[in-house]
Amino acid sequence: MSVINITDLEKIYRTEEVETVALNKISFEIKEGEFVAIMGPSGCGKSTLLNILGLLDDLDGGSFKFNDVEVSGFNERKRADMRKHNIGFVFQSFNLIDELTVFENVELPLIYTGIATAERKKMVDEVLDKIQIAHRRNHYPQQLSGGQQQRVAVARAVVNKPKLILADEPTGNLDSRNGNDVMQLLTDLNEQGTTIIMVTHSEHDSRYTHRLINMMDGQIVTQNIKV
Amino acid sequence: MFKNYFKIALRNLWKNKIFSAINIIGLSLGMTVCIIIMLFVQYERNFDNMHQKNIYRLDEVQSWEGMVEPQEVALSMPPMGPSLKNDFPQVKNYTRIFPLEMAGLACNDKKVFLKNVFCTDPTFFELFDFKLIRGDRKTVLTQPNSVVLTEESAIKLFGTEDPLGKSVTTHNRRDTLHFTITGIMENIPENSHLQFNGLYSLSSIFKHGEDKEWGSNYMVTYLELSKNANVKLLESKFPAFLKKYMGNDITKEYKLFIQPLNKIHSASANITHDYHNYRKFDGTYTDIFFVIAIIVLVIACVNFINLSTARSTRRSKEVGIKKAIGVSRNQIIFQFLGESVFLSLVAMVLAIILVQLFLPFVNDLSSYHLIFSFLDKPILLLFVLLGTIFVGIISGIYPAFYLSSFKPIKVLKGVTSKGKNKSFGRNTLVVGQFASATFLIIATIFVVQQLSFIRNKDTGFNRDHVLIISGAYKNYQKLKNALEESPLIKGVTGSSQKLGNNFHQDGINFKGTGPVRNYASSCVWVDDDFISLYKIKIVAGKNFTEEGNGREYMVNESLANELLKDEPKKSYEFLIGKRFWGNEDTLSTIVGVVKDFNFNSLHSKIETLSLGNNKKGGFHDVSVKIDGAKTKEAIDFIGSTYKTIIPNFPFEYQFLDEHFEQLYEADTKVSKVVTSLAIIAIIIACLGLLGLASYSAENRIKEIGIRKVLGATITNVMSLLSKDFLKLVLLANIISWPIAWFAINKWLQNYAYRIDMSIWVFILAGFTSLLIAIIAVSSQTFKAAIINPVKNLRTE
Repeated sequence: MSVINITDLEKIYRTEEVETVALNKISFEIKEGEFVAIMGPSGCGKSTLLNILGLLDDLDGGSFKFNDVEVSGFNERKRADMRKHNIGFVFQSFNLIDELTVFENVELPLIYTGIATAERKKMVDEVLDKIQIAHRRNHYPQQLSGGQQQRVAVARAVVNKPKLILADEPTGNLDSRNGNDVMQLLTDLNEQGTTIIMVTHSEHDSRYTHRLINMMDGQIVTQNIKV
Repeated sequence: MFKNYFKIALRNLWKNKIFSAINIIGLSLGMTVCIIIMLFVQYERNFDNMHQKNIYRLDEVQSWEGMVEPQEVALSMPPMGPSLKNDFPQVKNYTRIFPLEMAGLACNDKKVFLKNVFCTDPTFFELFDFKLIRGDRKTVLTQPNSVVLTEESAIKLFGTEDPLGKSVTTHNRRDTLHFTITGIMENIPENSHLQFNGLYSLSSIFKHGEDKEWGSNYMVTYLELSKNANVKLLESKFPAFLKKYMGNDITKEYKLFIQPLNKIHSASANITHDYHNYRKFDGTYTDIFFVIAIIVLVIACVNFINLSTARSTRRSKEVGIKKAIGVSRNQIIFQFLGESVFLSLVAMVLAIILVQLFLPFVNDLSSYHLIFSFLDKPILLLFVLLGTIFVGIISGIYPAFYLSSFKPIKVLKGVTSKGKNKSFGRNTLVVGQFASATFLIIATIFVVQQLSFIRNKDTGFNRDHVLIISGAYKNYQKLKNALEESPLIKGVTGSSQKLGNNFHQDGINFKGTGPVRNYASSCVWVDDDFISLYKIKIVAGKNFTEEGNGREYMVNESLANELLKDEPKKSYEFLIGKRFWGNEDTLSTIVGVVKDFNFNSLHSKIETLSLGNNKKGGFHDVSVKIDGAKTKEAIDFIGSTYKTIIPNFPFEYQFLDEHFEQLYEADTKVSKVVTSLAIIAIIIACLGLLGLASYSAENRIKEIGIRKVLGATITNVMSLLSKDFLKLVLLANIISWPIAWFAINKWLQNYAYRIDMSIWVFILAGFTSLLIAIIAVSSQTFKAAIINPVKNLRTE
């Protein structure tokens, strides 16, 4: 079964003077349980692609099926709803809310999916245990190291058990030891069945994945390289 | 979910203490002002609301020949009420009031003096819904020699005894009257324009049908109209009504109009001889205060809007994350609205405390009894609460929509739009704020100037250390002789009315070289030393003499000019020795012309005036000039002398200066309110500027660092950061100047004597607002400018 199936996807940025084709009719499929890395030089369109895959951005042409549902015509509310239940995000710059503690940050997605308080507590504790950061549950993001922050961010991305995790250079702001920890965490999640798509610049990180999609100038160069 | 909102809101407030403080303090100051002004507005607007009937007061416009300007008066002729009821079906009822300044009531050995006792028709309690505790509303005032006392007066006279049916004696000028107490009424509420301590039945005083005579205006008449009566239509029939009873020429001199009861308190600013209108206050000012209070609140809300949007980048990450995890835009809007409502509620609590703290002070300043109590008026809490929520929503709605519009991809990548449009909106609001604040500064300066001008303007007579004792009448001469013996007393004189009112008008007759001419002018009887005690200048002829009593008149320049209209080439000297008389044709003449002096308030032009030297029957008002260095001794002396000569009446006095202060009470109130509001508006606007400047410094910290590395000095950096704000303040000045000029000019029209509007005031106000803004802004920019640039750049 495919989680993502896109055909002839197009994304064009227009300013007053220039029209830039960010994604030029690309097509690929991602199956459930895959761990895929998207690589390519800066400006090749990989982040744009990730945003579209994450339903944060619209496409200008082509078809996009998420879980076999065509989502290209979805409005913002439908997309938000789809995101809420199916997708977790991990960003390069962690993006934890500074005003909330570790526990509260991880709890955030559960609040908006309407899960009861007691159940939420259980779920958050479970995931915090898994990433071994439970002892820091009442700390604020600034009190943690970069690696710890990113692990909290991953915990937040997986807490409501999404089908898909989108990670945008998750180790970009980390040193190699912390980076490896985060990659190991993602690998573990993948082994438990979560589909992961990761944009990265790092050859090293890409080795954790099953498959490599290589991009250049808005087009896919190769997409079937087994790692 | 709410808990989460609440947590984030609280932690954000706490983390950005300065911004939170600016928002909350600014907002609560604005709310405090608003609540206090609304209490005042409510007090003003609720005057006379205890009466249910459709009641109007009958007023006149008088324009007799010889008067400088026509005047509106609250008086009417006694038969007008009954005749109107008789002639017009829409006039359902009437009641008339003939006020007595003071009544001394005695029962057994006890005697009390009651101020303001009204002689009135039996219909009084039919029109007015004043509560009667004892007695029958329909009959309490039907019989002659009936008296209804207020509870307070009854207790003064009888203590705990039952007063009903008791008899009391009173002496009036001519005879002794015996009254029976037929009713007791509740004390008059504070919000009644009629304030009195007792009511006599009118028939006790007018025994011989005096109240049927047309011609003199000395009553206050109230009419009850039928519910749907057309007032304009009724008024249009008044000229014919007057002609019917008083002849065809009457409409040249009189016009009648009616005022609804609920407008008497607030819309009688131009009505003179309006002696029973408690705390009369021009409703226009109430409206102006209302508007200014709203402006101050809006200025505070603008701070909130500006600071929230300016600091939006701080919250953008939160919005981005929430959107990424699937929170809908509506939920985010709701969250931010909730936050601003929460903030308003915090400000409200603070405002309620501030109101409680300030109110005694405000009451003291304004001599009002404003009460702010949720226990007395639970509805008040509802109003304040709803108002607060409204303020929260109004000030939160723009930031909420703005913040919730962030695209998660952009904000999460750290791209924040620093679009010009956003700061354009903010700048507009800042300009609006400062334009209002500058407007208020300008207004304050002019209002204070005008009032000090009035206080210090040479009125043409000297009122220093003069006190007035009222009601001496036949004891005048005895009192004068006794007082003059002491060295503490520099002079004593008498007059039929005191200075500081428009004097009553009367007909006068003048015979120059042609036929006798009839005019009307303000008239006052005075003692022969009146002119010299008040140091009024004589421009032609000579002063009154003792021997001339009853035969001498002096006129003021305005009247002299009027009298000389037939003889345009003649000087004032021409008038000296010419025949001049009032109601009775005596052999009196004009002996002198006095320089025009302001016997009325400076709101009015100087009217034509005749002063008659006539001490027949004594005088109502005794003017005593005392030794200014020994005020206390002098007053004690006057008091004891008074008691030996007039033991039947209490000794009461008023300094003429105080009386003149009262004339400008409304003006003083306006100036105090405008001044305080201006100060508060400036404070709030500056708080906002402080916040924006600090934000701007913080936002441009990298730029500042780079500039400093490249060699910019502290001054360079400060001027870079301050320049933009100061431009806005300048623009605000340019906008507010013409508006202020227009508004002040309009206000000054209320005064017959007014200051010139100097451009320097505008420039001064401009500099003041600029200076305050510079101080506020540079306190923030200086901090940014002195930071070591390396530090700024490294934290990037």
